Amino acid sequence: MITIELFGVPRMRAERDSVVVEADSLGEAFRALGVACPALDPTVVQEGRLRSHYLVAVNGRQLTADPATPLREGDVVVLLSAEAGG
Amino acid sequence: MNGGWFGRYLRVDASLGSGQIVTIEAAALRAVIGGAGLGAWLLLRETPAGFDPLGPDAALIFAFGPLGGTPLTTSAKLAVVAKSPLTGRIGDALTSSDFALAGKRTGFDAIVVRGRAAVPSVVLVDGERVTIAPCEDLWGGGRPIGEVEATLRERHPGFEFAVIGAAGERLVRYAGVVNGGRHAGRGGLGAVLGAKRIKAVGVRGTQRVAIADPPRAVALAKDLARRSLGAATEKYRELGTVANLATFNRLAALPTRNFQASTFEGAREVSGEELKLTRERGRGSCANCTIGCEHFYEVTPGAPAVKAEYESVFALGPLCGIADPAVVLAAARACDELGLDTISTGGTIAFAMECAERGLFPRGPLADETEGLRFGDGARLLALIDAIAHRRGALGDLLAEGSRSAAARLGPLAQEIAPHVKGLEIPGYDPRALQTMALGFAVGTRGADHNRSGAYEADFSGKVDRLAAGPEAAAYAIASEDRAAVMDSLILCKFLRGALTDFFGECAELLAAVTGDAIGADELRATAGRIVLLKKLFNVREGWTPAEDTLPARLFDTPLPSGAAKGTVLSRARLGAMIEAYNLGRGWRADGSVPREAVIAAGLDGLVDISGLGRGWAEQKERILQGGEETGRSEGERR
Ligand code: SF4
Repeated sequence: MITIELFGVPRMRAERDSVVVEADSLGEAFRALGVACPALDPTVVQEGRLRSHYLVAVNGRQLTADPATPLREGDVVVLLSAEAGG
Repeated sequence: MNGGWFGRYLRVDASLGSGQIVTIEAAALRAVIGGAGLGAWLLLRETPAGFDPLGPDAALIFAFGPLGGTPLTTSAKLAVVAKSPLTGRIGDALTSSDFALAGKRTGFDAIVVRGRAAVPSVVLVDGERVTIAPCEDLWGGGRPIGEVEATLRERHPGFEFAVIGAAGERLVRYAGVVNGGRHAGRGGLGAVLGAKRIKAVGVRGTQRVAIADPPRAVALAKDLARRSLGAATEKYRELGTVANLATFNRLAALPTRNFQASTFEGAREVSGEELKLTRERGRGSCANCTIGCEHFYEVTPGAPAVKAEYESVFALGPLCGIADPAVVLAAARACDELGLDTISTGGTIAFAMECAERGLFPRGPLADETEGLRFGDGARLLALIDAIAHRRGALGDLLAEGSRSAAARLGPLAQEIAPHVKGLEIPGYDPRALQTMALGFAVGTRGADHNRSGAYEADFSGKVDRLAAGPEAAAYAIASEDRAAVMDSLILCKFLRGALTDFFGECAELLAAVTGDAIGADELRATAGRIVLLKKLFNVREGWTPAEDTLPARLFDTPLPSGAAKGTVLSRARLGAMIEAYNLGRGWRADGSVPREAVIAAGLDGLVDISGLGRGWAEQKERILQGGEETGRSEGERR
């Protein structure tokens, strides 16, 4: 199982903090997220890809949007806005 | 000049109560654009080398942008520029709204204030007419800035005001200049005005901002307004900048308890998501802005809501170990009313909290006043904010000088943990977890600064390893500084940048439509580098050395203790390699000194009248230019 943690606008839109999905890659996780949270499709995820201005950090570390990134059982995908201006 | 610029600035002498109109050549405006670029150039022209930022020779510059006063969204802005009394280096802060628009309508591209009034006064610029009106009744009473502004508007109808609070009057080195609830916050520009005994500057005017190609400008404005409402700005519109807090905490990039950690157990309570659900009472925007990133939150039931940004919440919350949103928001309001920069206030108090916990205050009044001071103490936070603004007690007076000066009094360990670069307290991007930003902070001309360098954008792009960045990050840091230099000079809000797909091309098009100058993307890119160099040259003139391009010692070589980035280390050697790559990428020497060829290549030898800049400058130039064929000759001789 993969846990997708939602931050910022996606969390407010989905009205939840996290979603648990089955996925072997980020692309599969994005597709599953769109199904689990229709409010995020197509503004945040669309057809197995992240929309621009969003990124994920697998286990909170390096940031990426590459759907080919493999996932392992128990990984946590942190979904956040790529706009970090403060 | 077909549009955008007026081709002149106003030099106000507060000692004499007079104004002088000075022409600016069109070529100079094209070379520095306006705003921060124009301000940096004028600061070099208007001040002698080595001047006291709180002395009568100091200049405080309100510099407008060529796009100000046009229909372009987010263009109602100005730059306030001076030598920072906190850092001794350039201080340039951006602010917005009606003061910017009214200032532009005076018919000047900039207003330069020099001298010192005999008594506390307000400077009134009414078109070309300058008056200095005494206002001793508004000085020293500790009235909130909003009340002072309201009184001034009643007394002087039709004027818009930039005002200082109690902190500026008492020369707190991180006092800001405030207008209509917006702050030119960083670097102590309010103290510069306070030292001139100027409580406020009022502006009123009737000049229209000409636009060279009105149909084109209107079409571009409509398109930009439409794009400003896209996905690139939805975070700012829907949650505001405070949305950063929970995200940064999850990435272990949230500076906590004076940078002892980068995660905070109370982050959820003060997160943007939580504040939105429990306390948000409204939204607002600067004048002429379609984005509207301002979010207002309830502090206590029935009391007026307060506007809060990520930087204020981070600095007065996690950095001080405080998780109670009511305390954090009350602290933000207090800083706003007293005219204090929230980042430096939070950073300096967090530093004091750690020094107290470690027993670093010497016996006597300082030890007595810090007795029992600990992280997480909200009541002491609020009391200290007030004490700093009024320089009350030994502690308030010490902390009013900023963390660098305070640490110099407290000893070597305090100096290792003082959270600043060049004297400017570090914003809420932990440089160990966002390592391109570490570079941006270290080399920033203003000190640790997230507005002049958006190097964190590279960390948030996935293009560099945010936890182990190397020299490859330098190009991204340079690119982000260049974009900021252009936006701060046009001026447009940086929250628009994500909506621009061809940054230099689109900015050049906006500039051309307004001014009529066919400035292409390549020229604008070169202009960005020139503006960054101008700021650097000011710092060089005022005593910059390579040793100051670094971070506090505590941030090096110690693993982050918690969260997703636990164990991450920023090594001194790796940051050194990034700095070297940055300097070489800029066309400077590896140590950051500036070769003569770089000044000439940027077209600055003709713009900066080096021969007239005084002896201190010539000495600095000789030192910085050493190694070139012309060592030993002053720039004046060369020209
Ligand atoms: S986006 Fe925010 S800071 Fe920028 S101009 Fe608009 S309201 Fe002001």
